[in-house]
Amino acid sequence: MKYLPPRVVKALGLAIGTLILVASAGCATVRPEQRAILADPTMQFDQKAADQAALEHVLDNREGSTGGGSVRGGGCGCN
Amino acid sequence: MADQPGVRRWLAALLGLSVVVGAASAHAQAASLDLNSALFVEPSKRSGLTVWNPSAALAVTPTNWLTVQGGYEADIVSGASESVKGGRLSSVDIVSSATHFSDARHALTGGFTVTRASTHLSGSYTYGTEHDYRSNAFAVSAGTDFLQKNTQIELSYGRGFDSVCTTAYSATDAPSSRLALDNSQGCFTDDKKRASREISLNNFQVGWTQTWTPVFATQMVLSAALQHGFLGNPYRSVVIASAGDQALENHPENRARAAIGLRGKYYVRNLQTAFSASARFYRDTWDIFGQTYEVDAERYMLPWLRVLLRARYYTQTKALFWSDDYTGGEPATGPRGQYWSGDRELSPLSSYLVGARAVATREGRPGQRVFGLFLSFSGSVGFDLLKTNLRDFTLGGHAPDDTLALLWSLGVRGEF
Repeated sequence: MKYLPPRVVKALGLAIGTLILVASAGCATVRPEQRAILADPTMQFDQKAADQAALEHVLDNREGSTGGGSVRGGGCGCN
Repeated sequence: MADQPGVRRWLAALLGLSVVVGAASAHAQAASLDLNSALFVEPSKRSGLTVWNPSAALAVTPTNWLTVQGGYEADIVSGASESVKGGRLSSVDIVSSATHFSDARHALTGGFTVTRASTHLSGSYTYGTEHDYRSNAFAVSAGTDFLQKNTQIELSYGRGFDSVCTTAYSATDAPSSRLALDNSQGCFTDDKKRASREISLNNFQVGWTQTWTPVFATQMVLSAALQHGFLGNPYRSVVIASAGDQALENHPENRARAAIGLRGKYYVRNLQTAFSASARFYRDTWDIFGQTYEVDAERYMLPWLRVLLRARYYTQTKALFWSDDYTGGEPATGPRGQYWSGDRELSPLSSYLVGARAVATREGRPGQRVFGLFLSFSGSVGFDLLKTNLRDFTLGGHAPDDTLALLWSLGVRGEF
């Protein structure tokens, strides 16, 4: 399979669109006092760990693709 | 080795920066120092590779809205590689062409982050130098959160101006007559046998992070990159004729790349473990389509010790102009007649990765700092094993034996 089948691409687009709509409608609300677990380092998307940076450096030099990696986010947002 | 006086200047500058920022930190609300070291080993009977990657980063927050960062990183590389790429039909002894080399890259970076309420703006500059390559990279990013901080958006843009050393061929010379470098002597000097080729880089990225429940968050990242200039390896020759004629690797001068990454994190209370799953899809104008699937699980084994286990699978198709062997009489106007490559990253491949990381953290208390100095201190160790399956790449018909890679990492971080 060289590329994703069109129906998978369509389903992926639909899922992302639905997520955006639900999120922007404010349906998903986590209150500050509920964020204890989300604020933990294990729930961070970009932990800036030493091994992660080194690993990404290696993979960039061993694979033909790049991009789409983690960005900062998922933090406490308690205030 | 790299330009030693230049390296000394950079190290002196870093030391100076450390002293200045260190003095400022006496009045700062917070400062952090990261020291990391990674060792990459790719064993092989003929062409093994070892890379040592030490790095240091210092961040100081003199006021509650400004953080200033500085850092240094090096890649110290040694090993051997085949300077000529030929395929199954090659009449050239490729395997015996492996030559030993050593190299060092140094990169110095500085930047800032301004934080105001729910937004932040960052800027940075990185200068990298090695004896055959120089890079200047600027990056800016801006992020904000809204909907009661459940939604975070981050935009970033990076601009790179790089230079690579090659032999002194003219742009009007036929690609098939161009020669590869055999060493870096004379690079970035007045040497008439050397030339500097420019590479222009533009990187765009947008990230959307969403928290859905107290234990579930997702992230989507869209990336795009535009590259223009000399995009090959100046040291690599490719056998392009059945008689054994060789020429410098010849890649297209433009490449547009795009990727989408989707990931989710879910904390299972019963297991007290955070699980993560991600998928990434990549496409570029060289016709490479890549897919990455990754899962990991992280758990506190002790209140101060957390351990992460991960597994990753990657697969990609070949570049449009990729061939293991270019001596088969390809038409001159076709992708494989106009361009030729010996780069295994452009061949069809897949890889498996398994790894683990342990992080130990010790938090200080008011009036009782860790080791008498730090508000918090952490140390980490990691290990990853990467196995690559090259579906089409050979060295003169022989499968390479350097397809297993090992990566060890070690780091400490202190906040004071």
